[in-house]
Amino acid sequence: MIRAVLVMNTQGRPRITKFYEFWPVEKQHEAIRNVFSVLCSRAEHVSNFVDAESIFGPDSRLVYKHFATLYFVLIFDSSENELAMLDLIQVFVETLDKCFRNVCELDIVFNYSKIHAILDEIIFGGQVLETSSTEVMKAVEEITKLEAASNAINLVSKSVSNWRSR
Amino acid sequence: MALSGMRGLSVFISDVRNCQNKEQERLRVDKELGKIRTRFKSEKGLKPYDKKKYVWKMLYIYMLGYDVDFGHMEAVSLISAPKYPEKQVGYIVTSCLVNENHDFLRLAINTVRTDIIGRNETFQCLALTMVGNIGGREFSESLAPDVQKLLVSSSCRPLVKKKAALCLLRLYRKNPDVVNVDGWAVRMAQLLDERDLGVLTSSMSLLVALVSNNYEAYWSCLPKCVKILERLARNQDIPQEYTYYGIPSPWLQVKTMRALQYFPIIEDPNTRRSLFEVLQRILMGTDVVKNVNKNNASHAVLFEALALVMHLDAEKEMMSQCVTLLGKFIAVREPNIRYLGLENMTRMFMITDVQDIIKRHQAQIITSLKDPDISIRRRALDLLYSMCDVSNAKDIVEELLQYLSTADFAMREELSLKAAILAEKFTPDLSWYVDVILQLIDKAGEFVSDDIWFRVIQFVTNNDDLQPYAAAKAREYLDKPAIHETMVKVSAYILGEFGHLLVRQPGFSPREIFNIIHEKLPTVSTSTIPILLSTYAKILMHTQPPDPDLQNQIWAIFKKYESCIEVEIQQRAVEYFALSRKGAALVDILAEMPKFPERQSALIKRAEDTEVDTAEQSAMKLRAQQLSQTSNALVVSDQHPTNGTPAVMVNQLGLLKVPNPSTRSNMDNDSEDQRLPQVNGTLSKVEALPQSADLDGVLLDTLAIEGPPSSIVQPKSNSNLGLGGIAVESSALVPVDQQANAVQPIGNIAERFRSLCLKDSGVLYEDPYIQIGLKAEWRAHQGRVVLFLGNKNTSPLLSVQAIILPPTHLKTELSLVPETIPPRAQVQCPLEVVNLLPSRDVAVLDFSYKFGNDMVNVKLQLPAVLNKFLQPISISAEDFFAQWRSLSGPPLKLQEVVRGVKPLPLLEMANLFDSYSLTVCPGLDPNPNNLVACATFYSENTRAMLCLIRIETDPADRTQLRMTVASGDPTLTFELKMFIKEMLVSIPPAIQKPPQASPTPLQQASDVAASTDPGAMLAALL
Repeated sequence: MIRAVLVMNTQGRPRITKFYEFWPVEKQHEAIRNVFSVLCSRAEHVSNFVDAESIFGPDSRLVYKHFATLYFVLIFDSSENELAMLDLIQVFVETLDKCFRNVCELDIVFNYSKIHAILDEIIFGGQVLETSSTEVMKAVEEITKLEAASNAINLVSKSVSNWRSR
Repeated sequence: MALSGMRGLSVFISDVRNCQNKEQERLRVDKELGKIRTRFKSEKGLKPYDKKKYVWKMLYIYMLGYDVDFGHMEAVSLISAPKYPEKQVGYIVTSCLVNENHDFLRLAINTVRTDIIGRNETFQCLALTMVGNIGGREFSESLAPDVQKLLVSSSCRPLVKKKAALCLLRLYRKNPDVVNVDGWAVRMAQLLDERDLGVLTSSMSLLVALVSNNYEAYWSCLPKCVKILERLARNQDIPQEYTYYGIPSPWLQVKTMRALQYFPIIEDPNTRRSLFEVLQRILMGTDVVKNVNKNNASHAVLFEALALVMHLDAEKEMMSQCVTLLGKFIAVREPNIRYLGLENMTRMFMITDVQDIIKRHQAQIITSLKDPDISIRRRALDLLYSMCDVSNAKDIVEELLQYLSTADFAMREELSLKAAILAEKFTPDLSWYVDVILQLIDKAGEFVSDDIWFRVIQFVTNNDDLQPYAAAKAREYLDKPAIHETMVKVSAYILGEFGHLLVRQPGFSPREIFNIIHEKLPTVSTSTIPILLSTYAKILMHTQPPDPDLQNQIWAIFKKYESCIEVEIQQRAVEYFALSRKGAALVDILAEMPKFPERQSALIKRAEDTEVDTAEQSAMKLRAQQLSQTSNALVVSDQHPTNGTPAVMVNQLGLLKVPNPSTRSNMDNDSEDQRLPQVNGTLSKVEALPQSADLDGVLLDTLAIEGPPSSIVQPKSNSNLGLGGIAVESSALVPVDQQANAVQPIGNIAERFRSLCLKDSGVLYEDPYIQIGLKAEWRAHQGRVVLFLGNKNTSPLLSVQAIILPPTHLKTELSLVPETIPPRAQVQCPLEVVNLLPSRDVAVLDFSYKFGNDMVNVKLQLPAVLNKFLQPISISAEDFFAQWRSLSGPPLKLQEVVRGVKPLPLLEMANLFDSYSLTVCPGLDPNPNNLVACATFYSENTRAMLCLIRIETDPADRTQLRMTVASGDPTLTFELKMFIKEMLVSIPPAIQKPPQASPTPLQQASDVAASTDPGAMLAALL
């Protein structure tokens, strides 16, 4: 089972966090800090695995991938295959890429509600739900259509979010 | 709406991003939370859109690490909103914020159910997702049937179905009863016929959860799993969107192989064959390529296949093929594959067949210890640790040591621990073990826990051969310029104990040893100084002939620390100073530490098997220590030889090194001058020791003792045994007996004595030949004890001797004991006891007999203890208080705070007092945490004397209490106080006399610890 998904930037700021087991908010933050302190000290071209038991307790593993300014981290137990989890991060990132066309940190910051919806189409209650980014995209588009139908407000275009960034 | 912008939300996120520091961020967040709170409170006018916006903001704030408890209700309430956008926010945010036991969730359960059974697919998806994330037991019970229906419904779209499958998985985890095994197994098998790979992936996850609990119900799924695997491996009918970097859904392949690993065996030969074909294909057809993602995916499948092959217990051929693959992996460039290669090799090592093949890769694994990636280094360390055995321990441990100096700090502690364990477990010889540990301390002192260096000291202490070697090594390390404090501790300890063994070698004179250790004193912390002081005391003791300069120098140091603020240092300084002025007696008091009781460990066991002598010597030294803790009053310094056994007096240090000749018991030499040469004559090593020259002085000076070789119970089997059971002299002068004791006692002597202290009849001692029973009557200060000596055998017991060694406060008279006890006969020997004075000392029965060729001698404590002369009494409150007040202070009334008390509920403590004839008077003390007791004590000197006791306990800390004892006689007050203290401090383990005269801090410390755990003991000793 996947225990948590963490997306944080290279300064250690959380961008998306989702815990599939209940963790009190302070503990979540302690864990995020600890993960960051491990990740930020890792060189390039090393493995994508990090010892997680000291942070998340026994029977926990951690894989991460580093993209530009972001770390994508999955924490899971021994019932999952490490490399398959790494592939799942890739699927998540590729899906984001398709959604935002060359996704960058700011897309995630300002559309974090949408990222949650995407994540929910990939991981469901700690289990792999869908591994085809095409299928995920289809589901997300359906949601978008529904929302548009309910005629709420305008989309925040990518240019706007870029404009907001510092 | 989730996927489209909300201006307010974006503004807020920008604001937070613009905060320069955490403080600003907090202010901004607090402001926002305040706003949200007010808005939520003023219910009217809050449009669903606003509500949605605020709930998203809350989730964002929550992600930043702030608590948003107040908003849970709002998030949950959005679930029942009619429109999709609000509902979606409600479901998503609720599943992030709320935990499964939250009360609000119960309120939503009906809405959730309506959404699940409703016709709106999107609502179904939202509801299923939330339940799948945070559904608890209640959800499980009320929703499982609906979810199952969705899962098997033919009209349900894959989008919903795959969520239903995982939702059911969650509900099943929360309550396995919701899935009816009999009915569901068939459906589960049908689900595996699904063509849609998305649904199949979810269903496979569900199957894994089900079979992990109960595979037997799902046998029918097994062939289907193999079919799915075949389909994927052959890439048959796999849609493009499920092909990931050219590999047909690696996740489904992995999951399917996981599911198969829960079935213990595959019986059907056809299925098995097809499966092995697939596996073979995976194993052979995977290559390392350039594209990282493709590599990851193909190796995800490959490593899962390896795991499955291991599980299926394939033929050796396939296994060795796997090992070959792994051997290839641990050398590739791709770090992830190196990592997993090592990890899987560690797993594979459990299979005995391939261990030797894996060992061939040792060199490569050792290279991985130097990998740039710490994760890989860790795996390499794990693998080396698990593949280490006697054959390669030396190589591996030496590699670890070498690596230690360059290893990063994060790994050093683990590394040193593992090296220490391996060195201990697989050491080819003990000197190597000592080398390893000293190197460890040298290279990574700060990571070497106390346990590790305690352990090496235990080994050195328990292995005489090792002692000179260890001393030499310790001396070497002390010469190094900057050494870690732990090294100072170990070296000082070892040199203090064993430095004298090398006194003839250059650099080992007491003065040189002292100088080099003393050099370190200014650099060490206060925890090390006590060890150094002990070492100085030991050096002083070993300096023969005495060196006045050195002595003065050491005395000056003791003097200096007499006013040290650290209690431990101060106490040692004061005590060592006082002790070291006692001249020759110092040698007894500071005798070499006894051997440690052996721990249960493979290494020790082997050591015991191969070195029986050592084990026995160990037992002897242990006993020597324990004896030296017993009261001095037991010493009869002018003991007459009995049983034809001369009292042999030898310097302990000499004796501990050498065997005691078994022929000794046949000698009859009364004069000490005559005895000595015999001892020396038979003890080959004595001359080599510097002390031998001084034996005379020692002999004339003090304590004689003996113990015929076969006489004494070996405490080996029970290290407690010696504590109270053998009451020999207080001095540690016990000859070492290398002959196995032919006669072992039955039962625990100390235990028997203890129970007889509380009752008046029972068995005092038993062995295969004799049973000594005891029956006593106590009247005021007099007692009449009858010893029943029963011969259990069909041949007579000869040379029976029984002598009472009475302490000064008891007058005893034992009637004549017949020299021979006929077969199967019982002899009664009355013993009259008169109590003259209050004292805690104990009379000893020195009993011996001969059976066949076995000479047996035991020394048994007699239960003529202080409480036997107490009588319960009940007095009124007035009388009690009148007496209490009239006994106003020391020496008639003494108070002491006792720490380290064995924690007892007050009621049990009261029972304990009652069992010792101390009448507890309830209600006399208004404080319910206190206990008041009284008794009458009888002795010839004091006559009947009223004793009053008050115990004040601390309910917060049951290990300490304050005790006040009052009586009309100062000695009685003191003795009774000590008696009660002993009774409270060491309740069951041992009724043990703490040292009265000249206690050494070393022994005192261990006395308190009274633990058989060597680690704790050593800690206490240090």
